[in-house]
Amino acid sequence: MSDAHAVSASHESATGIPSNKLGVWLFLASEIMFFAGLIGAYLFLRMSHPAWPGPEGHLSVPIGTANTFILICSSMTMVLAYAEMQRGRQTEAQRYLLLTALLGSAFLGVKAYEYSAKFHHGIFPKTNVFWSCYFTLTGFHALHVLGGIITNLYFWIQARRGRLTVSNAYYLELSGLYWHFVDIVWIFLFPLLYLI
Amino acid sequence: MADAHVSPAKYVWIWVWLAGLMLLGVALSEWPILPLPRPMIVLTVLGLSTVKAVLVAWYYMHLKFDRRWLIGVAAFPLLLLALAVLLGLSSVLVKL
Repeated sequence: MSDAHAVSASHESATGIPSNKLGVWLFLASEIMFFAGLIGAYLFLRMSHPAWPGPEGHLSVPIGTANTFILICSSMTMVLAYAEMQRGRQTEAQRYLLLTALLGSAFLGVKAYEYSAKFHHGIFPKTNVFWSCYFTLTGFHALHVLGGIITNLYFWIQARRGRLTVSNAYYLELSGLYWHFVDIVWIFLFPLLYLI
Repeated sequence: MADAHVSPAKYVWIWVWLAGLMLLGVALSEWPILPLPRPMIVLTVLGLSTVKAVLVAWYYMHLKFDRRWLIGVAAFPLLLLALAVLLGLSSVLVKL
């Protein structure tokens, strides 16, 4: 992540938007299509079953609410990490970045607890259509969270080594775009799976 | 660095709104606070989720400070989704 590379990476394209930022947004657009397909399939399956999901499809609302809160907090720490890096406050930025990765890990920990409880009760993806949808939607989302955690930890290490500074802080914005997208996906998955 | 003038306090306020809207959605779906039929509650809860998503995209993803057509890049897949849902619904209605 040399300065020369950082400068070239921040060049604006003909659209007036930095090429790397435009690239991330186009990637996110394809990700929106991916999750839209999954969520759309879930909605149609659900509409075709009036009694959906039935008493056997119970999910813990308090646990889901706590996990949603964790992810909302992580979005705030992510954007604060970028804001602090922009201001040249390295220590605070690193702290917020690490906190974001820890909160993401906590989210995955809670999700692992939920999964293990379901498996303990003999509930698997093959149990019925609801659980197939649940494990597919939350599983793919969890993989995206894991990707975000790895990315944030990578940038945290780079910041610790002094390779991520105010001059190339926009890398954090790009990482943040992905992290906030993952948060938005969960913002819709939570009510669809746990509340309604 | 389009959001250089946004104070961290603003981001914290957005977080307060996100948490508040999340709790409101949970309360509406779990307790009979509003005397509305279930489909209306469902629409309200999903509407609250949409507001939260817009807040995240607008402030945390900095769409508020970016070029307007970047919003189109984000919104285009959603328009396709809306079209797909409408087509799907129309096929369900035709069968009825």
